[in-house]
Amino acid sequence: MTPLLRFQDVSFGYGDKDIIESANFDLYEGGCTALIGPNGVGKTTLLRLAAGVLQPLAGNVLLNDKPLKTLALKTVAREVALVPQQLDLPFQFTVRQVVEQGRTPYLGLLRGPGRRDRESVDRALALVNASGLQHRVFNELSGGERQRVKIALGLAQQPKLLLLDEPTQNLDIGRQIELIDLLHFLRAEGVTILASIHDLQLVEGNFSAVFLLSPGNSLRHGTPEEIMKPSILEHAFSCPPRRHPLLLEREQRDTTRRAG
Amino acid sequence: MVTGERGVEKAVVDAYTVRRRLGFFALVVLLCLVLAIVILLSLVTGAVRVSPAMIFNALCNHRPLTATQEIILLQIRLPRVLAAAIVGSALSISGLMFQGLFRNPMADPYVIGSSGGAVLGASIGIFFFSQISVFGFSAIAMMAFAGSVMTMALVYSLARSNGKTNVITLLLAGFAVSTILGYSGYFFGLLDNSNGNGNLILLSWLRGIIGIPHWSQLSVTAALLLLASVIAMPLMRQLNTLALGDEYAQQLGLRVEYTRVGIILTASLLTAAAVSLGGLISFAGLIVPHVARLLLGPDHVRLLPVSALAGAIFLVLADTLARSLFAPTEIPVGILMALLGGPFFLYLLRKTKRSYAL
Repeated sequence: MTPLLRFQDVSFGYGDKDIIESANFDLYEGGCTALIGPNGVGKTTLLRLAAGVLQPLAGNVLLNDKPLKTLALKTVAREVALVPQQLDLPFQFTVRQVVEQGRTPYLGLLRGPGRRDRESVDRALALVNASGLQHRVFNELSGGERQRVKIALGLAQQPKLLLLDEPTQNLDIGRQIELIDLLHFLRAEGVTILASIHDLQLVEGNFSAVFLLSPGNSLRHGTPEEIMKPSILEHAFSCPPRRHPLLLEREQRDTTRRAG
Repeated sequence: MVTGERGVEKAVVDAYTVRRRLGFFALVVLLCLVLAIVILLSLVTGAVRVSPAMIFNALCNHRPLTATQEIILLQIRLPRVLAAAIVGSALSISGLMFQGLFRNPMADPYVIGSSGGAVLGASIGIFFFSQISVFGFSAIAMMAFAGSVMTMALVYSLARSNGKTNVITLLLAGFAVSTILGYSGYFFGLLDNSNGNGNLILLSWLRGIIGIPHWSQLSVTAALLLLASVIAMPLMRQLNTLALGDEYAQQLGLRVEYTRVGIILTASLLTAAAVSLGGLISFAGLIVPHVARLLLGPDHVRLLPVSALAGAIFLVLADTLARSLFAPTEIPVGILMALLGGPFFLYLLRKTKRSYAL
């Protein structure tokens, strides 16, 4: 079985700093994978590489066994959608106008949106339960509402692979459960999901696989049972956390004084 | 039950879409009517009295106009009014495109230096190649286009770093480049000792006076406006996508660099067309798209026709005011626009200060 997405010795870095080093993994259709790791370890970079927004410095990202860089932008955009953490709009676009942009890969220079595109936008909005928001101005929405609209924008692309960058950020517990529910539903619909997740409690029971990126650039993958072990997580997330050096110094001083 | 609710919801949405469309078409038709009225109003304004009834009678072959009236109408007023309409349309569309491209409602051809580049190009044309013309296009117009494109390429590359356009750098670079170019035009004027005529043309350009163009010049510029508008149409949808940011647009399958080049070339062509008829007219390209956006929302596809029509109306009105407020003395429309547009720009600056953190 060919994987939907394959990372083959992929390396990437900014300037002298290596972010991803020789990453290898396969994503198969229908999977729901959580990408976890401490802050600044390169989760967003990995998702951008997977969407073809960034090109690897070495190695290959393959989509359906074809190198991503050889495929036309539109072909990639019909297969892979990346939902970013932040979306800032300069003008007062309505929610519907924003989600309509997800149809861009299906439109030509002279061919505007048709009935099928409108239906697809309707469906994407309905899936994230945002039909009622469609005439609201995107910039005036709450964090949770924006998150749903961003996912609808990704769904309007009708992708096989949906990449989500911190989808639970800014969501209260109720909205987080709604989002996890939506991911279950999308998975049942045949959408493959790779989501970077900050809240480790959400991983178990909700994701079929876990990628763990840890400092030192190593990428581990396995089932949640294999990865979500205290020994592995403590090492990856530097737990117990390093204490503030000046505070440590003061505590040591105090101890010495008391002993003296 | 759920299906029923969905059905109702869909019907509501459909009704909303129809209303919105009707609203849009009604607005376009209304603007066409207003433009026709404003043009007629401008035609009958002036020292020699020609009433709308007289024009109507002449059009219906009831009672022809006198030879003087005919010359005044057809050779003086009509070309000037049409020139004002073309300039207004061209500046507004070009302002709309620059605002969309730079994701900033404060960009316009004057502010970001595109007009300044066109003037410098044109002044080089006036002083050095005034006799040359290719396929009916004068060297002056071609130099204006080249100046406009090159300035935009310069300002754009100055404002971009790490794949992002920095708004503050853009406005500063545009201001600096446009000042340098404006004064370079004067500088070329000083070098021109032999022929005072060139200086006169240049001075009127720098002040922004819509002259009385020949019909041939008018038709070439009108054709350019039409061509640029046709090219602009498919680019408008792409401007909507670009609003999500360059990286997101690319992720959606848009070839961002091609789109950008297309927009810069088209907007520069429009700026050059406007400059070749009216010189440096500030703020028209800023105000009109902005007001249209307030009325219609930010969808560029709809903003294109509305901005084009509103721009034409706005400049025909402004030019009529400019030549009749203190008649027989004429105020350059560029100066009038600066006096009206300047305060509006300041208002914009104040209003958007927070969201742009300027």
